[in-house]
This record gives sequence, structure tokens and C-alpha cells, in this order.
Amino acid sequence: MKLVQILAVIFAGLILASCASGPKVSYGDASAVETTTTGFGSTDLQSIAAKLVDDLISFPPIVQMTAQRRPVVFVDKIKNKTTEHIDTESITDTVQTKLLQSGKFRFVDMTAVKAVQEQMQFQMDSGMVDPGKAAAFGKQTGAEFMLYGNMSSIIKRNSSTKDVYYKFTLKLVNLESGIMEWAGEKEIRKTGEKSFF
Amino acid sequence: MRKIILKTVLLAGVSMAMLGCAVNETATVVVNDDGSVAQVIESNSKVLAANLSIADTKTGFVGDLLKVQVDILNDSGSALSFQYKFKWIDKSGFEVAIDGRPWQPLTITPHESRIVQAVAPNSTVNSFKILVQD
Repeated sequence: MKLVQILAVIFAGLILASCASGPKVSYGDASAVETTTTGFGSTDLQSIAAKLVDDLISFPPIVQMTAQRRPVVFVDKIKNKTTEHIDTESITDTVQTKLLQSGKFRFVDMTAVKAVQEQMQFQMDSGMVDPGKAAAFGKQTGAEFMLYGNMSSIIKRNSSTKDVYYKFTLKLVNLESGIMEWAGEKEIRKTGEKSFF
Repeated sequence: MRKIILKTVLLAGVSMAMLGCAVNETATVVVNDDGSVAQVIESNSKVLAANLSIADTKTGFVGDLLKVQVDILNDSGSALSFQYKFKWIDKSGFEVAIDGRPWQPLTITPHESRIVQAVAPNSTVNSFKILVQD
């Protein structure tokens, strides 16, 4: 009886020493699968960006078009039709970064227009910049394509299970002709079950 | 009665220690630039090494970007849930776009295979690895 009690104490000590005495703050793998809740998470964002970028850069007409030149694209906002607050700009930022790094596309950044305008105004009007080296107005390149999309979700639940389905659609439209050159979709299904503990 | 409780506590303690401190292992498949498979599976995870195998790999180019396809087979009689991730290597052996691709969860039903695909992040890539962990 005493032996069992001693063993119990030793095991409890071992558990505490091995698992509970670690640091309270630690760095993790940013690309690891995250399953804290059924809500939209980092794994969903990364999966969407990876899938859609793969689809876009391997679509035959796009491969043909980007073989000789790097088209200029403008990224519009993604409509969030889900019931969650999701930073859709973060998704398009990741997509944009991957496309840019692929060497297939170039982008005009509409989020920086005001700052660019102020800088150019400074170069032209302040008298501090050599006029020969100042960036001239009216020389910027217009975007040929627009990237935009939607994000929607369907949530179903019963007493013990919650099922979340996300659908993210991204489209590439030729601004001049209005023709949609490409569209890609990524679907995600997550199921959460209530724990009884 | 007290003995039973103590035994239960002991058992629960051992189980908790095993679950709480489990270490994920990694399996690796390397495909050379000529398309040949250098290693089929290299794993410290007994579950994955015993039950998962690479049935087929295909490589091709879309434009100048490497496109890869891996057919992963579950040889076991039960469903396997694991994670996989692609890594990209350039001609000089440097990894390209480190952490550019996330770990992706995947479940394969018994004796079935699933195909996973990916496109290289840029044209410098000529080989890849697929990592698998439980």
C-alpha cells in the first residue's frame, strides 16, 4: 500500500517536472496547423493563399501571358460575407506577396496612393529636391488587371458538434475588356466537437 | 477501494505524461531534378513509416515553374490523419521561400491514396521535399 502511494507521488512529481515547469512564453512554428477553435485561423489563411496562388500561376492562359511579360495588377478588397470578423486584407497581402515573388506579376499599391502623392508633392514643391531627380507626375503605370473576390461561410451546429464551411473565391478581371481571365476557389471544412472535460 | 483509486491515478499520470509530451516526427521524400526519387520515406515516426508510402511522384513545368504531384498511400486498415508540407530547393541546394508553405492537415481513409499538388514559388526551384508529420 505504501509503495503504491510513493509511486503515485513520484509519478505526479515527474509529470509536473516534465510538462508543467516549462517557460510560460515560447515561440512556435508560424506554419504549424492551428486548431484552437473552429474560427478562421492562420492555417486557413495560409492554405487559401497557397492554393489560389498555385492555381493562378499554373492556369495555362496565365502561363502563356506571363511567359514574356509581367502584367500589372491592382488588388481590390475581398468581400467578407461570413459572420466572423476576418481581416481579408491580410489574405490578399499574402496572395500579392507570393505572386510578386513568383516573378510573374507586378502590382500597383492603392493603399499607398496618398503617401506617394504627398511624397511627390514634396519633391515638386518643397524646393529641397533637385528638379532633375524629382519623380514626375503622370508617369505611373496603370493596372491591366484587377484581383478581387468573396469569402463566405456556412455554419451548422447541434448540441455536440459545430461544422464550419468556408469558401474563398478570387477572380482576375481584365480592366479594359471586362473579361474575367481567371477564377479560383478554396474550400475549407472544420468540425469541432464539445469536450465533456 | 483506495487501492483502485491510486492505481487509476497512476495510470492517468502515465497517460498524461505520454500525451502531453508527445513529439512529432518528420518523414521526408526527396525528388531529384531529373524526376527520380532519391529516398522513398525516411521517418522516425513508426506509425507513419509503417503505414504511409509514396505511391507515385510526378514533376513537370508550368512555364518555368516546377509543378509537383505526390500520391500518398495509406497502407493500413484504419484512417490516418497527419500533416504534410512542401519544401523547395534551388539548383545550388538552398531552400527557397522558407516557411512559404504551411503544414496542411490531411486524412486518408484505409487502403486509399490521396494526391497532393503544389507549384514552386519561383523559377529558381528545381527539386522539392515533402515532409510528413503526425
